[in-house]
Order: sequence, then structure tokens, then C-alpha cells
Amino acid sequence: MSRDAVRHWRAERISALALIPLTLWFVVLILSHLGADRAQIQGWLGRPIPALLAAALVIVTFYHSALGVRVVIEDYVHAPARLRALLSLNVIASWLLALLALGAIATLVVAG
Amino acid sequence: MTPAERPLSPHLQIYKPQLTSVLSIVHRGTGLALSIGAVFIVAWLAAAAWSDAAFALAQEFWGSLIGQLFLLGWSFSFYFHLLNGIRHLAWDSGFGLDLKTTYATGWSVVVLSLLLAVATFAAGLALRGGA
Repeated sequence: MSRDAVRHWRAERISALALIPLTLWFVVLILSHLGADRAQIQGWLGRPIPALLAAALVIVTFYHSALGVRVVIEDYVHAPARLRALLSLNVIASWLLALLALGAIATLVVAG
Repeated sequence: MTPAERPLSPHLQIYKPQLTSVLSIVHRGTGLALSIGAVFIVAWLAAAAWSDAAFALAQEFWGSLIGQLFLLGWSFSFYFHLLNGIRHLAWDSGFGLDLKTTYATGWSVVVLSLLLAVATFAAGLALRGGA
């Protein structure tokens, strides 16, 4: 348990560090392409390097989010059954959303 | 059986709100807001990848008043969580832990994240208007 907490602490901070450049890149990318249609998005997000960065952003975002939401659930939910259910939901939803986003990026690459 | 009358630990509401505790809970709140925002980004990405109709709907939503307010709140949450997160990383490395620095960096985070959110929103409006 204590070793798990150390790993959680470290993982949260390493993912936080990785998110600093990735999220700033994404904000600039979105701002510089406002009003783009689907074909244009395929044009700028479907290229290899932006697609790889976006995929990294998706993975690290949902990893960091799952770690953070887990602590929030652990702090406020005490009934054991509900706690277990919400912790599982957090993991499953994070995985599904990340996979959906990765699938969308892959589709944009293939189409772009 | 009646529970023993043990002393309870003090509850949160007896404390006067302070910048430190307020920013701590705002960090958590903005983190949750960003997690929810990430769901919307994935929906937008999926729409861009797979469906003209869904994409048109998404663009309409982001252009609407509610969508714009959502973006403004989301960009504040983003900058706050980013800057306060860096503040946390500094603390974790042993920097800025004295009371004076904690307050100075705390207020800086509040002011900077408000300014950056408004600036990003204004840049978005200007860029969109020019497009």
C-alpha cells in the first residue's frame, strides 16, 4: 500500500511535467486553426508528428486524470461498495475515452 | 449500543477560508473540470474523424453562448491548474514553502490564470473573426 502511494505520487508528477508542453502545444494548435472544417482538421492533425503528439497528449491526459479523480473519489466516498464501483468506473471510463480518442486520431491520419 | 462520546476532530467549516486552503480546493475543482472538459474534446475529435453531422453539431455548440462560456471557464481551469500545478511541483522540490512566498505565488497564480484565460479567449475571438 505505501509503495503504491509512492508510485501514485511519482506518476502524478511525471505526467504533470509531460502535460506542461503537450497541453500548451495543443492550445496553440487549436487557436491557430479555429473555424477549420473536417478536411482541414485532417490536414493538420492527420500528419505524423502532430498525430503522435496528440496521441501522447491523450494518453498522458487520461492517465493523469485517472490518478487525480481516484484521489477525489477516495477522499469523499466511504461506503465500500460504492467506492469500489466508482474507482472501477473511473478506470474504465478513462480507458474507453483514451481509446476512442486514439481511434479518432488514427482515422484522421488514414484519411489525411 | 449507543456510540461512545468521543471527541470529534474539528470540521472544515469552523476554519476561516484562507488563500492557501481555497487555492487547494480550487486546484481540485479545476482538475475535475478539466477531466470533464476532456470528454468534450474527445467527442469533438471523434466527430471530426467520423461524422459530418456530429461535427456540425459540435461546431454549433462551441459557437453558442453556452459553448463560449464553457470555453472561457475551461481556459481559466486550464491555466489555473497548470500554474498552480507548477507551484505544487516547486513545493515538492522544496522551493517556495515559506508563508510569504506561498502567498505571493498563490496570488500570482490567481491573477495570471485570469489574465491568460481572458487573453486566450480574446485571441480566439480575434483569430476567428479574421478567419
